[in-house]
Amino acid sequence: MSYKASGLRAWVVQRITAIYIGLMFVYLLGKFMFAAPASAAEFQGWATGPVVSVALLLLVAAVLVHAWVGVRDILIDYVWATALRVTLLSLLALFLIACGFWAAQVLIVAQIA
Amino acid sequence: MKFIVFRFNPDTDTTPRMQEYDIEVTRGMMLRDALMEVKRQDESFSFRHSCGEGVCGSDGVNANGTNVLGCITQVADLKEPITIRPLPGRPVVRDLVVDMSQFYQQYRAVKPYLIRKDPLPEQEILQSPEDRDKLDGLYECIMCGCCSTACPSFWWNPDKFHGPQALLQSWRFLADSRDQATEERLDALEGPYKLFRCHTIMNCVEVCPKHLNPTKAIGHIKELMLKHAI
Repeated sequence: MSYKASGLRAWVVQRITAIYIGLMFVYLLGKFMFAAPASAAEFQGWATGPVVSVALLLLVAAVLVHAWVGVRDILIDYVWATALRVTLLSLLALFLIACGFWAAQVLIVAQIA
Repeated sequence: MKFIVFRFNPDTDTTPRMQEYDIEVTRGMMLRDALMEVKRQDESFSFRHSCGEGVCGSDGVNANGTNVLGCITQVADLKEPITIRPLPGRPVVRDLVVDMSQFYQQYRAVKPYLIRKDPLPEQEILQSPEDRDKLDGLYECIMCGCCSTACPSFWWNPDKFHGPQALLQSWRFLADSRDQATEERLDALEGPYKLFRCHTIMNCVEVCPKHLNPTKAIGHIKELMLKHAI
C-alpha cells in the first residue's frame, strides 16, 4: 500500500457493511413488529443472548465503519482545505469511537445485570 | 421562438448576462441551426461547432439545464423559452465556449492507447469476434464532454477525479484483449479520487448523446479491481 488513502478497500467495506446492516434491519423490524418482547426483562434476555448480543455488537461496528466511509466520502467531495478536512475527520473518528464504546458499555452492563 | 442565451466576454464584461433572442424556427431545425441563427443576428456571439451531425463532438451545450449536442437536438423537443448555457463547471472562455483542458488532462491520464509488452507482430494483433464485441459501447465516445461536465463529482474535483469520459475510455482499454497493461492501469486508478469519486449518480448515462454507459464501465473497473485484489 502506498501513501494513498484507500479507494477500493473503503468501497468494498462500505458494500459489505451495507449488506449486513440491511439484513439486520429486516430482522430487527420483523422481530419488533411480529414478536416484540412483552417486558423490559424479556427484552434484556433477548438482547443478551449469546447469538443476538454478538450480532448486535457486529451491527454497531458495521454502522460505525459504514458511517466512517460515507462521511469521509462527503468530506472528500466538499471540504478541500487540508487543515479543515483533517480536523473534521478527526472529530468524526473520535465521535464514532465514542459511540462504539458507549454501545459496548450498554450491552456489557445489560449482560452483567 | 424565444432563446435566452448565456453571454460573457471576459475582456469587456465583469459578470455574465443572459440575452434574449427571437428565432424563427423552421421544420426539423436543430439547436445548432438555431445557434447559427443567433450568430447571424448578433455577430459578437460565440459557440463551437463543426461537423453538424453528431460526429465531432464540438457543440456540447447546456439547453434548459441538460447537456446536449446541439447538432442532434431538435429545437421542437425543447420547451420554450429555451435557455442555453455553456457546459457546467468549466471555465468560460467566451459565451458558450469553455476551457476543456482539465477534461483532456484526465483523458490523457488513463493512457488511452494499447500497451503491449510482447514484441509487436509483423501483422495485425488478432482478436476473436467475441473479444471485439466487448468494445462495443466503449469505442464510440466522441469526447463531447457532456457526461463529465454533468457529473457533480467532476464539478467538485475536476483536477483529481478522472470523470465518466476518461473512465469509460480506461475500461475500453482494460476490456481490450490486445492490451497487456491491466495491472498498471488498475494500480494507477487506486486511491479515493481517480475512480472512487464516482457515486453512481448516473447523470453521465442520462446525457450521453451516443447512449453510452460510463457508470456501467466504472462498475466493471471496480469489479476487475476487486478480482485482482483478492
